[in-house]
Amino acid sequence: MSKKGLIVIVLVLCAGLVFAGCPKKTVVKEEPSARKAEEALAERERAAKLEAEKQAREKEAKEKELARIREEEAQKAKEKEFERSLVAKREPGIAGEVFESKLLKDIHFDFDKYDIRPGDAEILKENAALLMKYPKVKIQVEGHCDERGTNEYNLALGERRANSAKGYLISLGISSDRISTISYGEERPLDPGHNEDAWAKNRRGHFVILSK
Amino acid sequence: MRKYFSLLFFLLFWLVLAPAEARVYLDINAPAFVQIPIVLPKWKGMNTTPPGLPIKVHEILANDLTLSGFFKVIDFSRLPSPLKEKAGIPTDGSLIEWASEGGEILLVGETAWKPGDPTLRLKFHLFDLVERKHLVGKQYEASPQALRKMVHRIADEVVLQLTGEKGVHNTKIAFASVQATGKEISISDFDGAEVKQITRNQSINLFPAWSPDGKKIAFTSYLRRNPDLYLIDADGQNFHRLTSHLGLNAAPAWSPDGKRMALMMGMGGKSDIYVIDANGDNPKKLTTGHGNEASPTWSPDGKQIAFVSDRSGSPQIYIMEADGSNVRRLTFEGSYNTQPSWSPKGNRIAFCGRVEGRHDIFTIGVDGSGLQRLTSDPGSNESPCWSPDGRYLAFSSNRLGGSKIFIMNANGFNQRPLTSAKGGESSPTWSRASE
Repeated sequence: MSKKGLIVIVLVLCAGLVFAGCPKKTVVKEEPSARKAEEALAERERAAKLEAEKQAREKEAKEKELARIREEEAQKAKEKEFERSLVAKREPGIAGEVFESKLLKDIHFDFDKYDIRPGDAEILKENAALLMKYPKVKIQVEGHCDERGTNEYNLALGERRANSAKGYLISLGISSDRISTISYGEERPLDPGHNEDAWAKNRRGHFVILSK
Repeated sequence: MRKYFSLLFFLLFWLVLAPAEARVYLDINAPAFVQIPIVLPKWKGMNTTPPGLPIKVHEILANDLTLSGFFKVIDFSRLPSPLKEKAGIPTDGSLIEWASEGGEILLVGETAWKPGDPTLRLKFHLFDLVERKHLVGKQYEASPQALRKMVHRIADEVVLQLTGEKGVHNTKIAFASVQATGKEISISDFDGAEVKQITRNQSINLFPAWSPDGKKIAFTSYLRRNPDLYLIDADGQNFHRLTSHLGLNAAPAWSPDGKRMALMMGMGGKSDIYVIDANGDNPKKLTTGHGNEASPTWSPDGKQIAFVSDRSGSPQIYIMEADGSNVRRLTFEGSYNTQPSWSPKGNRIAFCGRVEGRHDIFTIGVDGSGLQRLTSDPGSNESPCWSPDGRYLAFSSNRLGGSKIFIMNANGFNQRPLTSAKGGESSPTWSRASE
């Protein structure tokens, strides 16, 4: 608050006092000037305090507005990141154009099992959070197996893996009509190798985006 | 003295007049059998027949007889002159000379065709060289395009004469074949010739199954981003979808009367065995419980279905009535038994069993007895499928590198690859002969 402004306010207040207090003067004994000055000071301080509070409120409001704008922009940037992360996947022999995103991560399974391990549960939580942010996105969970074992039984195992992941996502609040499942059994390995490393990579739940 | 003389007379009488037993050439049901040595002289071309034609007939026939597993073919090129040059039907007197190389059976024949003629003639005669008698002779006439079919018929006839059951040389085997884009369905003749790719949709096409009449193939395809059930004619026509329930519609198995199919369906979030009408309608769930169910196969009388279930904790072979009742476990040895195939003879089931990390083909009696291991190669052997007469098994094996379809006799003998392709073949299914 500038000195000038303070002076102006004080002057205004004094002027107000003059116009308001004149008729009383004829009846009452004239007060000592020191008390008058005290009252004026108090008024000045009260006014200053009110002004300060008003200024503070305005500052807070401005800052809040700035923060909101920043968050909005960050959100838009993230959306762009998700949008930017989408890679279209078109396969001549499998209908529909789908998208894949590095932000929707694969989960993996133990040999011959379809239960969700703790580490993979965390990945599913991240995937679910992403799906919560983009409520229009619909996905398909693919269940895959490694090459060991026989084709028909592996198809059944892949079906379990896909449904296992779907069930967990539903328990995290994603609506079931946003998630479809498909088993590829051992038919679509990620890694064509014939070793433990390749097999571990192939025992996976993979997510594709059907519509955004 | 008189007493002994009568006894001797009685014995001689019995030996001379006792009915002669029909000669058993080969007992194909024996666990092991000795192959019949058969002499196959040069085939004769009559009149204006182009010389390449009888050579081709001989080639197809010799190959068929070898592939059947029942014969040791003594080729004419191994014979001494002048036998090497002899062709055609011999007169009775000359049978003796053909036995010189240890042959017990003689198969001779001739073919006649004038280029441009709509019909081609084939004639053959079969002789027993040991008993020096004529067994059978037949003549065929057909268009030149049906040459292979006719020669296969001759091979079938020879097998019938000498083993009591017709051969399978006119049957066909369909299988899945790896491509750049996925897998397509192909068909091969029993001798590996005439391989034709019948699907061309660039998708993943799996688990082909011949209809009992040999005219159509049911299979699973990912064409619509779901493993749906499809049907196609053997000539590649009429490709259409049968079922498309979300989830699995996989590994179809036709009932022996061709009116229904058993298959794996995932409608309930896991794989169960269902039965549907042959047109895809009326799915009926057969299996219950919390296990994963797979790979149905029908008994030849259509009353039972064998399948895979892991309800006990590991995948094993089970049998149930065709309505899903009376489920009982069949396999108890090994921790991973899958892919059952019920023999058309009804008494045995072939399956794939995991042994020390590899897979091998086994057969077991339907009562659970008589477990037999048929392969024990370093490679992995999967997906057994019986021939329509139950005397052979087709399966896939990677013993030569890539996965290839192999054929063997039902006792495990005579294992050989079906086609000359390098690999990528799996899931064989065997049709009855086309007429």
